[in-house]
Amino acid sequence: MKTTPNTAINRLLNMAILSGCLLFFVPARLYAVPPNKHIQPVTQPGTRDEAIAFIDSIGELKPSRWWPNIKPALFLQNLKNTIRDPIRIYPGDGTNFCGYGALTYLLLKEDPLGYAKLIVQIYHEGKGSLGEIRFRPSAAIRKAAGSLRFKGRLDIHPAEQMWYLCLADRFKGYLNFLNRKYDKDDEDKLWASVNYAKFNRMVRSLLPYEVKARGADLFRPHVGDLYTYISDRMKTGTIVLFINNRLMRKKNHPTIKLSLPTHYIVTEQLILTDNLVTLIYWDYGGKTLLQLSPAFLKRIVFGITSCTKKVTNAR
Amino acid sequence: MPANRIYTILLAIAASWLTACSPRVFTSKYYFQHAAALDQIEETYKELYPKGPFTIGFNDKNYQIISLHILTDSLDYIYEFGVNEPRLADTLTKYKLDTTKVAQLILQMQAIRCTWIKTYEYYLDEKLKSLIFMSVKPRVFNTPLSYKKYYILTYFPQPQYFDSNGKLLDKRTLRRLRKINGEIFTRINDKVCYTTSGNFR
Repeated sequence: MKTTPNTAINRLLNMAILSGCLLFFVPARLYAVPPNKHIQPVTQPGTRDEAIAFIDSIGELKPSRWWPNIKPALFLQNLKNTIRDPIRIYPGDGTNFCGYGALTYLLLKEDPLGYAKLIVQIYHEGKGSLGEIRFRPSAAIRKAAGSLRFKGRLDIHPAEQMWYLCLADRFKGYLNFLNRKYDKDDEDKLWASVNYAKFNRMVRSLLPYEVKARGADLFRPHVGDLYTYISDRMKTGTIVLFINNRLMRKKNHPTIKLSLPTHYIVTEQLILTDNLVTLIYWDYGGKTLLQLSPAFLKRIVFGITSCTKKVTNAR
Repeated sequence: MPANRIYTILLAIAASWLTACSPRVFTSKYYFQHAAALDQIEETYKELYPKGPFTIGFNDKNYQIISLHILTDSLDYIYEFGVNEPRLADTLTKYKLDTTKVAQLILQMQAIRCTWIKTYEYYLDEKLKSLIFMSVKPRVFNTPLSYKKYYILTYFPQPQYFDSNGKLLDKRTLRRLRKINGEIFTRINDKVCYTTSGNFR
């Protein structure tokens, strides 16, 4: 079809209007959406006092139809104690919950009110959300929570049982590939395992942190002097170390020694004196002080996750 | 005899030697043979623990390096010492532990190759209970590929319940087996149980 001069002019006009619209709206849209998709906090994190006031306002908790094995009074007591004293949280003897424990420790320090509200919401509704992350635990999880036994202090912590199971159910990594569905005792098996990338993903998703991770599941981080690197990072944020716990807390005398990381710890202090590193860290319900040589520290550390607080979005 | 058959027999012998499991060697008999030494270690530790909670064990195969965990309300301290290092006595003094008694405990443990001793806490009907957990690596021949190398003993302060096979039950009213450190235990007497494990703690 042959175009007339009028039609050509119309087309040019339309294109000019469209281009104008695009120039006007697109940059505005680009700036309206935060450039970092992980920016989470829609609401400001609540303090510990606010969290305790929230729990006190609940009064008496009724049994939940979603969680048949959770005793309400014990659940509420556990939640209160967790908020009051986060150091005491305990991911359980023999479980693979240490990664979830470290994450929970950070969450309780950062946003105790958010944690308390989420736990109560999951208890009442059988599902809940924190930021953009939704938790919709499976029936097997709902049945297991409150009934885990022979896990030390975790036996009497139903709220923590529920939370760790929900985390393991919600977040998956390549270690969980062969065992994705919860069966009895899976908390001790690959179902609950946390590889390093998964841990960092969980922290980025649930906490308002800028996360910088160095290291991997099989390779040690190349950061120059390890002590200097960790110390510098600790000045601006919290450090989680992914370590080979088999060397740090020996459990056997193996003929073949595998050099693999298995455990997450939250670093509290790191001091170097007389070529001896004093490491104070949190794991499993308490803080531990350990003295080790810089060479041994280098041997055990496989991952360094630096968590620094993000500047809150103007929104 | 054809060469192939000889090779097969040799291979079978080697395989059975490599995979022979040490747990078959360890039964309650081991406890009765060494009861005096084992009970003495338990007694010494039980006496020391209330004065200052701690766990102690050997990290190396030669029983020369001690791992000492001092447990306080605010911090757990992990130390490693050579058996004869003066720092050990200094540290024990610092935490007000009986230096002589602990030295005696270390010698008792070395003598019988006791790898670890600790107070193990568990919950029964939501109440805190405790027992003394002890692991030993006996001087019997350990094949290279055997997994369970440690003889574990648990000393309960009160008599326990067992099923008809002598397995430790969770409680009288529940026919569920109790697990300690992920293992199922067998009766030696009303208060002492044993198992074999791949881990000493």
